[in-house]
Amino acid sequence: MRFAMGSSIDQRATYLQLQKAANQKLQDLYAKDLHFELDKINEPILWVKNMPNLFAVICYLQTDEIFKINYLSDLTAYDNIDHIDGDKRFVLVYQLLSLETKVSVRLKLLIDDSEDAKTISHIFPAANWLEREVFDMYGIVFRGHPDLRRIMMDERFIGHPQRKEYDIKQRMPFADNMKTNLDRNPVP
Amino acid sequence: MSKDGSNTMIFSTLLSEAVKWGRKNSLWPMPFATSCCGIEVMSTLSSTYDLSRFGAEVVRFSPRQADMLIVAGTITTKMAPVLRTIYDQMLEPKWVIAMGACSSSGGIFDTYSVLQGIDYIMPVDVYVSGCPPIPEGLIYSVLYLQKIIDEGLERTPALKPTYEEAMKAMTYHKTPEGLILPSIKTGISLGNGTNEEASKEVPNEVRNG
Ligand code: SF4
Repeated sequence: MRFAMGSSIDQRATYLQLQKAANQKLQDLYAKDLHFELDKINEPILWVKNMPNLFAVICYLQTDEIFKINYLSDLTAYDNIDHIDGDKRFVLVYQLLSLETKVSVRLKLLIDDSEDAKTISHIFPAANWLEREVFDMYGIVFRGHPDLRRIMMDERFIGHPQRKEYDIKQRMPFADNMKTNLDRNPVP
Repeated sequence: MSKDGSNTMIFSTLLSEAVKWGRKNSLWPMPFATSCCGIEVMSTLSSTYDLSRFGAEVVRFSPRQADMLIVAGTITTKMAPVLRTIYDQMLEPKWVIAMGACSSSGGIFDTYSVLQGIDYIMPVDVYVSGCPPIPEGLIYSVLYLQKIIDEGLERTPALKPTYEEAMKAMTYHKTPEGLILPSIKTGISLGNGTNEEASKEVPNEVRNG
């Protein structure tokens, strides 16, 4: 869909209309069997049931005329340790966007400590590093990921620091950050 | 020698004094600016504050050519070996300025990933306080470094704390096993650092040394 060159206010209004239509469509399609809600700025949140369900929804949103999702804005997770959002441990968050129609959709998925997630890096290559980050910080394993290593923390680090039970001040002593090795060269 | 070359003068002086004079007036900096403090370094080097007035103008981005390492910014534990390598690559004589709260002590980032002061990994000559320090602060530290070189003040000795002291500084809460929090979920092997390796390697290292 192409837009005539108008003022940016007009364009913004058009995008808001499109987002509204998208919200309505999402509600009609999925509100029967999935939990659907709108956040404070009227962006849709869809709680998908499981991994296959997530793939189905993403594939549909990519091909649909209204959504035309083609961009992964963010992939993250949060620790649902107090079970406010459900009875599983973590919540995976997929923030999707269409660069063409500026429609954005947020998919959320409850996932337990013992479960494995599946990678979406074959659909959105940008998910590669984001999944590595989620793995590093929360310990959620993405099956099928091409290279699931730590991305932020040291490779020798043990534990997953964004889990609520990880103490924020728990630093890991390695040979090269201890005062005892201050003037040794090379550092053992 | 006078400017017109007419009457020649000879200064008799100690070579060591001449070397000192040369060193203190040509402190070529190597900026290691990892975060916000780096902006102040740029400001100090720019024409408003003009660090070159004190002979420290030739910024070298190769540690081999620099005399003074300015560490400006947060150093994470993952960055620590990199910084240490840069320090090791610098040729003697070398001096280190820890600029800002983060590089001096970890600053506001008292968290799992941030090194609590670069003096864990290298001897530091001058600490500059502030978050970030004003450019005058950095200039003052360079002048202070010149004073250190000029007067031959004693440099900060490399501290050698005991194993217990090092552990106390690194961790606030000790687990029953000692220092390593056991991995909650080891579904996947994480590089070369396994649980047994880490908990075995570190104490032995310390006890031998
Ligand atoms: S001391 Fe303050 S300004 Fe400097 S790097 Fe740390 S947080 Fe940034």
